[in-house]
Amino acid sequence: MKAYKKEVQFTIWMTAAFILVGNVGLIFSVFPVDAMLFGFPVMYIVPILMGWFGVFILTIVAGKIGNRIDDEIDSENDALGVSSEVKDV
Amino acid sequence: MMEAQNWQLSNPILGLAVVGATFLLFYIVGFISNRKSASAKDLYIGGGNVGAFTNGLAMASTYMSLATFLGITALILKLQVPFIMLWIQLILAIPLITIIYGTSLRRMGAFSPTHFIRDRYGVTASIIAALFMILVSVMYALGQMIGIAITFETLLGIPYLTGLFVFGLLIVGYITIGGMAGATNNAAIQMVIIALMFIIPLGAIMKAIGASGWYFPPLFYADMVPAMLESLPTFFDYQFSPKWYFSIIPALTIGALGLPHLAMRVYTASSLKSARSAMVWFAFILGLVFSATYAMGFVGVFATTTEGLVISEGDADKLTIILNLVYNPEWVTALVIAGAISAGLSTLSGNLLAIGALISQDIIATLKPNIPQRLSLRIGFIAIFAGGLVSILLAIEPPAFLVVSILWAFGLAGVTNAPLIIVGVWWKEANKFGAIAASVVGGAVYIIVSPFVFPSIVLTGHGVTDGMGLSGAMLAVPISFILLIVVSYITNRMPSLQRRLTKQSDIELIERIHGWRDIKTYRYNSTLGAGVTVVVSAVVAIWALMPWGM
Repeated sequence: MKAYKKEVQFTIWMTAAFILVGNVGLIFSVFPVDAMLFGFPVMYIVPILMGWFGVFILTIVAGKIGNRIDDEIDSENDALGVSSEVKDV
Repeated sequence: MMEAQNWQLSNPILGLAVVGATFLLFYIVGFISNRKSASAKDLYIGGGNVGAFTNGLAMASTYMSLATFLGITALILKLQVPFIMLWIQLILAIPLITIIYGTSLRRMGAFSPTHFIRDRYGVTASIIAALFMILVSVMYALGQMIGIAITFETLLGIPYLTGLFVFGLLIVGYITIGGMAGATNNAAIQMVIIALMFIIPLGAIMKAIGASGWYFPPLFYADMVPAMLESLPTFFDYQFSPKWYFSIIPALTIGALGLPHLAMRVYTASSLKSARSAMVWFAFILGLVFSATYAMGFVGVFATTTEGLVISEGDADKLTIILNLVYNPEWVTALVIAGAISAGLSTLSGNLLAIGALISQDIIATLKPNIPQRLSLRIGFIAIFAGGLVSILLAIEPPAFLVVSILWAFGLAGVTNAPLIIVGVWWKEANKFGAIAASVVGGAVYIIVSPFVFPSIVLTGHGVTDGMGLSGAMLAVPISFILLIVVSYITNRMPSLQRRLTKQSDIELIERIHGWRDIKTYRYNSTLGAGVTVVVSAVVAIWALMPWGM
């Protein structure tokens, strides 16, 4: 039960985080900001930076958590005592 | 030098030599990589043993089409910042595919997303989905084919039809010879070529214009901003309403989840861990080149508004090349052309492999499951070649839209396939009746409200918004989700239909692809989750029908 819940919650929250970080332009279209950052308008450079480094960092996090959940699913399987022949290839 | 003119290499032999050398390289790599293809599995997913770094690069270059060099900068010239905002989220494709369904389908051993649809929803639904996928892939491949022929025509002076047939066949040949293993190794090499041939010349252009940040073009062009704001104060304006920015999510974010040639890259991974590392490399390299693309568009607008560069409407597509011709020596432009061709090639090879897998595995092998392995492999090669030939023939009389048609194809994939895969992986109740209804009705609605079939039936009347499928997908994608969930829920409760449903094997499949070795009724069975999806989808669909004010 625990690993299943984690898997579903991870997928929902991670998907939401990715969509948010990749669509910062949508947020600025609702809440415009009139300021400059690194010499660019904030509404220009922040979506670009988030769409690169923000997404990049999220992929690292998603990869780590995804691997850990796989391990937990495997250990719940092992706890069942089912033979391991259908283990993923 | 600064007037409208015929933009062409004065020494086309130089361009041809560089392009010829890259083609030779791709042929050799393709040949070496695919010597061992003994089965359809080798042909389509490279034996399923591609390493993370190679795969990440290959994912990025498969995704980055010729549009990186030709279309995007033109649309930045035309739409300015809103188009950049639209493009940024395209980077989400592989990460979302990987976490939402890619690892599950990799665990299942699928060749293509439709392979999952067949096991999950049966033959009829999978053939409908495969036909839509083939349409999407052909539209995509067509765009690349046309773009490559136009590149040869306008930049090297080779007549369109000659370029189309000679280079079209050369390309199709190398993809057929190389299979997925060749395409993957080549795509990784092409990614390096694309990045170098885009970013380094851009640095040289920025240096020539006098930008101090020329040594890191993707982000260091802030010193050009004041001059830009002075001559074109509206450049950074968002122009459109939040609704327009929201519509990007159903159209392109969800749309990309339905693109077969992207998903197939995840299945080539040697393990689930490797697939997850590949998405990290993908995000890094794609972010780098995407950011450089925005910089190129910015420099293009800067050059036309402050430097007096004149680019006619018809030449807008060639912005990247024109900037190189104006500010860089000719041999640099020849390398940029090779980069553009590489970008087109890597996408095209992904499309053709998807078409091959769809025709041979998802249609022929579905209808005739007992074909021997050798024949199946041969049909695979023929299908890839035939798909290429069809895109060449279609490109003889090309439709007028290049980039727009590709983005519209995203929406079609998002409507007809993405809901089937996403809901199918995460909800046991989804069944074949829901899948068929979603794919057919959703697809029909999307096509009807597009400007291409009934130009008077559109949602916004704003040409680019309707043409890119933003408005159509905002209506049709939620309709597709609603139909899949509601029709499945109802038909599961109709006793007369029980005989025609395969509940037990569906349940077993879902548990297995998530990695479980037992079956639990509470897993992937949330009526609440399905209900929330229906309500959210209904709100979005109604919003799409309300006036856009454009």
